[in-house]
Amino acid sequence: MNRRSRGSSSSSGSVGGASDSCRRRSDVPRNRNNDNNKGGDSADVSFIVGTCSSMCPERERVTRERLRDLSVFERLHGNPTKSSSDLAVKKFCRTLSAADVQASDVRPLPVLEETLRYLLSLMDSREHPFEVVHDFIFDRTRSVRQDLSIQNLASERVIHLYEEIVKFHVISRQRLQSCSGASISSMHHLNMEQLAKTLTTLYNIYDVNRKPDYIYENEAEFRSLYVLLHLNTSSGVMGEPLSLWFRKLTSNLIKSKEMCFVRKLLRSYRNGNYRSFLRTTASEATYLQYCISEPHIREMRSFAVECINNVCYKLQPYPLLRLSQNLMMKYIIFRSWMLNLYAMSVVLRYVLIPMAALCCQRSRQASAVQRKVLKTMI
Amino acid sequence: MAYVSMGEAHRRITEYLNRFCGAVSYQDSPMLCRLLSFSSNSPSLLSLADALNVFQDASILIRQSDKFSEYGEILAHLFRSLQSYRFGNLVEAYLAFEKFANAFVQEFRNWESAWALEALYVVCYEIRILAEKADKELTSNGKSPEKLKAAGSLLMKVFGVLAGKGPKRVGALYVTCQLFKTYFKLGTVNLCRSVIRSIETARIFDYEEFPRRDKVTYMYYTGRLEVFNENFPAADTKLSYALQHCNPKRERNIRMILKYLIPVKLSLGIIPKDELLQKYNLHEYMNVVQALRKGDLRLLRHALQEHEDRFLRSGVYLVLEKLELQVYQRLMKKIYIIQKLSDPARAHQLKLEVIAKALRWLEIDMDLDEVECIMTILIYKNLVKGYLAHKSKVVVLSKQDPFPKLNGKPVGS
Repeated sequence: MNRRSRGSSSSSGSVGGASDSCRRRSDVPRNRNNDNNKGGDSADVSFIVGTCSSMCPERERVTRERLRDLSVFERLHGNPTKSSSDLAVKKFCRTLSAADVQASDVRPLPVLEETLRYLLSLMDSREHPFEVVHDFIFDRTRSVRQDLSIQNLASERVIHLYEEIVKFHVISRQRLQSCSGASISSMHHLNMEQLAKTLTTLYNIYDVNRKPDYIYENEAEFRSLYVLLHLNTSSGVMGEPLSLWFRKLTSNLIKSKEMCFVRKLLRSYRNGNYRSFLRTTASEATYLQYCISEPHIREMRSFAVECINNVCYKLQPYPLLRLSQNLMMKYIIFRSWMLNLYAMSVVLRYVLIPMAALCCQRSRQASAVQRKVLKTMI
Repeated sequence: MAYVSMGEAHRRITEYLNRFCGAVSYQDSPMLCRLLSFSSNSPSLLSLADALNVFQDASILIRQSDKFSEYGEILAHLFRSLQSYRFGNLVEAYLAFEKFANAFVQEFRNWESAWALEALYVVCYEIRILAEKADKELTSNGKSPEKLKAAGSLLMKVFGVLAGKGPKRVGALYVTCQLFKTYFKLGTVNLCRSVIRSIETARIFDYEEFPRRDKVTYMYYTGRLEVFNENFPAADTKLSYALQHCNPKRERNIRMILKYLIPVKLSLGIIPKDELLQKYNLHEYMNVVQALRKGDLRLLRHALQEHEDRFLRSGVYLVLEKLELQVYQRLMKKIYIIQKLSDPARAHQLKLEVIAKALRWLEIDMDLDEVECIMTILIYKNLVKGYLAHKSKVVVLSKQDPFPKLNGKPVGS
């Protein structure tokens, strides 16, 4: 297990108090001493080595059984007061001070691996609605990350765990969209927040132990996700402008297939070239990249309709079928989307878009209103 | 290293101590600057370092006289730092210098007037340079570089000391610039925000009071930040200010400003003359400018690829990529002009097929759907005035000003 320590990488040098490690997702685990142990020295006095051998520490499980604080997934035969070591998983909680944490409450790496494997196996559970599944895995993976951070673990196995957790957040993001309910939008927001934090930690770990010119197996793909989250300059999901971010990448990464793909997408997006954007995504995106790009795909399609609507000669209507092909949408879906727009417009009485074809409005004022209508449709 | 006798070492150290204390008593700032400027590698400092090495424990000499011992702490750290510096132990040199700097700033606080401002500048400069060298040493030994970050904290502290009502406040911009250089090197440019806010909104600061040199540097860095955030009009204002007020003899500085100003101007439709690029050795932009003039998309893409590393490192790559639309505009204009020559009556009709052919000549393969897409965007973003007739597969250009110039506004605004 590689324990590369770094000097104080954060603004406050104190360990306790409000700056507890479970809240600091974005920091590389920091070494209190300034000395550096060159890898291999495992007698690191500042970090806890976990000794909890099950997914949930015994005393937590007992307490939660008593307080009836068990998730549906943790209940033995549906009994809200009984769990088992196979079902209970350690909950996330903000520790007020790192000094309060005991080694017996922290799970070592093999247990964390097992825990994550178990958690991810629940993703396909059909017994409960996805929001419930997501909520449980969301919380419990946060706790896994907390344990990893407290122990300052950073190795290839750890990288793999973070990558799996990122995948969970990305896939959740997509699946939550087809859910409904009052709390979905805040779930979505929290999910994106944790996605950003996990990605940041993952990138730090990639960097910490890097041998020159080496990139990890999946690193290029996971780095490319950052670009996809920042296609739009105004949406600062993780705070740093892309131009700055690119400066730090090694040349191997920049030339990788995945980074070339997202850079092509970025170029198409920024120039408004919806055709190239959609085509490139369709032909080259991995599943994860596609999930993250989805909102932009919708955005580009709306933009395309807006442009064409604005620019095309009204006496030569644009056939819907052709347009649906250009926008790479199934005709049926596309047509119903257009019908929705039409229905909306009839209701609003602001714009008229004839059913069989798209009319074009030459005047800028009309199209400004149309733009507003379209934007509400995304 | 030259051989130094005990007596000679004693003499050199005492001489330095006298100079130091004299400089402070008589408020001789230039003298003090010379005494503190390690990176100048002046012979007198180097010979002092040799003397210190021979003498081993200079604190005896310091304690000998009341005059010296008043600055005992400052001098002790300074000497230790100089010794380590001489021997190439840059991490040790940094650590000692940091302690010296802390002690010095404390003294500086107590001095009423701003006489030692130049000396303080030297201290700020030296600590940043030493920190960079120390970090290099750390990384070459496989350790984690953290000294530059520490230097940043110290500089913030100095900023705090200067941010007051007295005459010392004019020094704040210099320290700000040192902070900018530090944060840019570290890549933590978001930290610039707080200090920018202080300079621009705090009432104690009057921007016009600051020395010109510092104002130029400040505008350069804040202009660069605007480039990163793709705020082109703001970037243009700031970088142009820096260019205008920069000393024309400082060619290296002008080149640095132009490196960022040129992509910004290009985005606003303003093309520099070739002579400018030649004079300041900005060859990397030559093909980009040429591509914009000729509407040669292939040349633009080639230029971006050729200097990809350089453009990515300086952070202008994404800005240059966006010039593609302007290049397309230029190409369409050329096609229009050529058509006008052969058949003026129908020149305002651009067949998509013709455009596709032109692109093929540039070795760019595009089907009609994509050509149509590009034309749609060009019209939508007002780079081309006209409309698209889908069935006839033709773009009909407006009779008046079909290719409007950007006139200092970025595309699509």
